[in-house]
Amino acid sequence: MNVLFSGQIMVVSKDAIVIQAIPIGGSMLPQNLTEKLIQNITGMDKTVPILFVTPIGIGGIIQPVPVNFSMGIPVENWRVILGPTPLKGNIGHFPTNESSNEVVVGPSISDQYNWTVGTKIMISGRELEIAGILDTKLGLLNRCVLMPLKLAQKLYNYPDSINIITVKPIQGYPQKNLTDAIENQLSSLKVKALTEDERYDMIEPVLAQVETWNIGIQTVIFLMSLILVMTVTVMSVSERRRDFATLDAMGAPLSYVFRVVIFETSLIGVLGGILGILFGSLAALVLASLYTNIPLAMFFPTFYEIIPPFYMLEIFLAVVFVCCLGGIIPAINATRMRIAEVLRAEY
Amino acid sequence: MQIKTVDLTKTYRLGPSEITAVNKVNFEVNEARFIAIVGPSGSGKSTLLNLVGLNDYPTSGKIFTDDADASLLSSSKRRKIRLFRMGFVFQTFNLLPTLTALENVELPMSLASKPKKEQREKAVRLLETVGLGKRLFHRPKELSMGEMQRVAIARALANNPEIIIADEPTGELDSKTAKEIITLLFDINRKEKTVVIVATHDEKIVDVADTIYTIQDGRLRLEG
Repeated sequence: MNVLFSGQIMVVSKDAIVIQAIPIGGSMLPQNLTEKLIQNITGMDKTVPILFVTPIGIGGIIQPVPVNFSMGIPVENWRVILGPTPLKGNIGHFPTNESSNEVVVGPSISDQYNWTVGTKIMISGRELEIAGILDTKLGLLNRCVLMPLKLAQKLYNYPDSINIITVKPIQGYPQKNLTDAIENQLSSLKVKALTEDERYDMIEPVLAQVETWNIGIQTVIFLMSLILVMTVTVMSVSERRRDFATLDAMGAPLSYVFRVVIFETSLIGVLGGILGILFGSLAALVLASLYTNIPLAMFFPTFYEIIPPFYMLEIFLAVVFVCCLGGIIPAINATRMRIAEVLRAEY
Repeated sequence: MQIKTVDLTKTYRLGPSEITAVNKVNFEVNEARFIAIVGPSGSGKSTLLNLVGLNDYPTSGKIFTDDADASLLSSSKRRKIRLFRMGFVFQTFNLLPTLTALENVELPMSLASKPKKEQREKAVRLLETVGLGKRLFHRPKELSMGEMQRVAIARALANNPEIIIADEPTGELDSKTAKEIITLLFDINRKEKTVVIVATHDEKIVDVADTIYTIQDGRLRLEG
């Protein structure tokens, strides 16, 4: 479920796609009018207008995948987003003035650019000062620049505009009733109000599709690996026909010949699995670094979070399994060799 | 070990024609003799040895091992006979290239589930017997052809077989080495009381054999 805005309703433009708490695309909403219309709705406790902008374009870097973003939130409402999140080392402070130039940044982005409290940074041609660095591991906050709403609106040239407004219902008031009421009341603004469950439901088909693609890709890779291992082993067995025939002539039990081939393929699996995990993990980190412009070194401390050991074990076992499976037909072939014909053919 | 064949015949289909490699062979071995089967290439020597060595099935006729019809034995029983009672020496040595000389000799004992210590001791002893005491840890590619054949003979002796079947054991060797291999096989026959059946066209083997058979177009004839 969503980490941000838990238990709250998110109001966004009707044409925006919401993934977790991030609105993708969609029109801007007029802040004052939206807030004013929502104020009169029964069941509403508190609203927080937010301007969510991505990318922030630090240093003019264009990112294929936006990983940096900025959020403008009225200073009195920051805790709605941050909860009890402290500042790193308890150094610095949260901005208190809506028109100040102070911002708070996530730890990942500050590490990348060597920002510390007091560092002056340039965003969209305006000098801002870092007032604090968040002490958090949350993906969303790790790469964000938090600033007062008014500052964000000025900086990005969206006067009186927002793209999210969160609505906290009165305790015990049904969220569904409130979203229906918001959509009715704000029908002229063409908004949609999403409960936490609805936001989850929105991404569920996306996740399901990703899952389907994953299964599809895994199946193709599984079959390709199986065929590859089988082909390689068939060739290897074929090249050593005389060795297997010799074993047969010596009276080696069929199970021994079978085990020899399966052992060899499982050894390929063990080595392939270890090397595959090593190179695959490294490739994943390199690609992530290339696509996000985040230095590779920054991924290493969180290596086991990006590629959990359980997944590595799962992949390793799957590779060994595929290799053993791929060895079965060649192993059966090896046991079915007609010794006399093989030995005769060698002369 | 007694081996007896009755009207043993093996035919192969080669395209539209049928080739009779072994034709109604009647042959018996029941004592530790050194037997040479002599014949030109393609006369059926190897086919006969493969049949006698239970590596192949006859098209017709029978092979008896100790009065049991071998064609009625299960594949597993035939394997056990090959493993425990027969030893094979091939023209091209057929050593496993990834194993050392010692490991090649240990292999039949390992297949027979002999204790590891016994395998090692016996393999060393056998290799010393064939004059390769200093080449234990060499792989086949590091050995000369004569040495490879000696390893193959040591391997054939690993499980104390009652019969050694050697198919052209000197075919790949120079005359000096061939003579040494023949002497080795002859000594084994005499000292270990092991039946040695050799398919060859090497005159030197014929000279030492107790019994000589000639084979021509699949037909076997006793020469002396």
